[in-house]
Amino acid sequence: MPKLSRSDWYDLARDMNWTFGYVNEADVFPEELSGTGRVPPEAWLAWDEPYKISYREYVHNQVTKDTTTYSLKNAVGRSKLFDQLDPGWKSVVVAHYGAIAMPEYLASFGEARMGRFGRAAAWRNTATFGTLDEVRHGQIQTFFPYGLLGKEPRGDWALKAFHTNNWITLAVRHLFDDMFVANDALSVAIQLTFTLETGFTNLQFLGMAADAIDVGDLEFGSLISSIQTDEARHAQQGEPTIKVLIDNGHKEYGQFLVDHMFWRAWRAFALLTGLSMDYYTPLDSRKMSFKEFIQDWVVKQFADQFRDYGLDFPWYWDEFINELDWYHHAIHTVVWNYRPSVWWNSDAGVSPKERQWLEEKYPGWNRAFGKHWDVLTENVRTGNLAETFPETLPVACNLCQLPIVRAAGVLAGAHTDPAPLRHVHNGRVYQFCSEPCRWIFTRRPERFAGHKSITDRLWTGDINPPNIGGVLAYMGLSEAEHGVDADNYAWANGKH
Amino acid sequence: MALLPLSGTFLGDVTTVGVVVDDEDTAEAVGQKIAHHAVGRRVAARTAPIRVRLGGRVLDPDEIIGRTGVSPYDHVEVFFDE
Repeated sequence: MPKLSRSDWYDLARDMNWTFGYVNEADVFPEELSGTGRVPPEAWLAWDEPYKISYREYVHNQVTKDTTTYSLKNAVGRSKLFDQLDPGWKSVVVAHYGAIAMPEYLASFGEARMGRFGRAAAWRNTATFGTLDEVRHGQIQTFFPYGLLGKEPRGDWALKAFHTNNWITLAVRHLFDDMFVANDALSVAIQLTFTLETGFTNLQFLGMAADAIDVGDLEFGSLISSIQTDEARHAQQGEPTIKVLIDNGHKEYGQFLVDHMFWRAWRAFALLTGLSMDYYTPLDSRKMSFKEFIQDWVVKQFADQFRDYGLDFPWYWDEFINELDWYHHAIHTVVWNYRPSVWWNSDAGVSPKERQWLEEKYPGWNRAFGKHWDVLTENVRTGNLAETFPETLPVACNLCQLPIVRAAGVLAGAHTDPAPLRHVHNGRVYQFCSEPCRWIFTRRPERFAGHKSITDRLWTGDINPPNIGGVLAYMGLSEAEHGVDADNYAWANGKH
Repeated sequence: MALLPLSGTFLGDVTTVGVVVDDEDTAEAVGQKIAHHAVGRRVAARTAPIRVRLGGRVLDPDEIIGRTGVSPYDHVEVFFDE
């Protein structure tokens, strides 16, 4: 019997809906889990995913991708390719696994929530594939670093990081809890799949895979490519969701969700991708600066695609564009200074040639940031390494959980006052790195008020002893796991 | 004698640090405690005196921090007086 073509059965099979007779709408789609109640149920029937796939096709595609990726891993695992990689690139890979592997698995919770509580059958169908994608991404990105353990024991931070109170983990976990672990289906679609995946990661994964191949890391390049193609598919859930929301008169709420998460995504990107692109990736392999990447890809994408749906630029757009020049440079200085507190080896990336590149890409870098590295370099050269390590914590933002670096904003001409921004809620003082972080907090304080930043934990006695040794132990780092300078200070001694 | 958590920024540094001082400390001592985490580490050392600004007012070096109206978690700015 000839098989029906997909187009003959797809919509019918996909749109599995029925009228509730024994329960009411709110029982099946409770608002706190679904978040779709602003739009009438029948309006959700307009939800349609641009790229369609059947379960048979999905499984076929995934098996093919897994076969290719795992075969390549087996071949590369027997070679010395990883040993030959630039130390800075190894840091990119180890940082990535610790920060991203577990969130990919946790993203399956968000996808599953859309798969159950998305108000359109088509949406639930697409999200079911998304759930399987994210389970796969969690598994493959813990399995690959497991293969590195003989060469890089901190590959196990792919699994371990999210079970610690490391300060980077606190920031990433706070972000992803907000974005998809503790979020309703509608907000997951707009904040995870539309804002983060369509806006940032889908593009970043393309660039990252290309960079990996360029530096000779075929294994990581193949892995990231295999993930990116899944992302490109399940990221589509955001577009029809925002379209239904806007078509039914709720642009303002969609804009709020985008504004909220675009800023948070930017903060995470500045930390992870900003440092990777401008400091860790070997100079010869840098195709563009982080700022150019954001301008050419993220900004253009937002302008072209998000605005097609009638969305405006977020209200803090000027501040975001301004930060491209300085924010991640400040964060890099802090991360390198606090290098024992991260699970990868921080690459200073400030050899004379690299400083020249930074000044060329970011005119004024030497004036604003080079002077700190002059002091750090002098301490390294004179053997005064103790002065290059911290003895207390920076004050962390109560929203993004990253160090407050408004002082660097003053040096870059972006701010006039280095003081953290404040907000008092129920008698507790909260401190913020920026107006958008404070705005996100104050719009829904009950969502964030119970959390303590790493600095709060030090101040309120959660960390004992309350010194840097106690802090490192609290963060889950044994001495053997402390990050060190990736190049063993060659950059400071003119050997780079 | 009570512990007083403060956030402090040494002007010219990249970040704000958390410190715990004694509320009987002088402004001079508070300034030195914050400078310890920045000067000679990320900010070049100078011979100029170090001053503390709280709420827009530069404190007298002998002023007792606990009697300045400061509250826990307040921010102080520290700088070379040149």
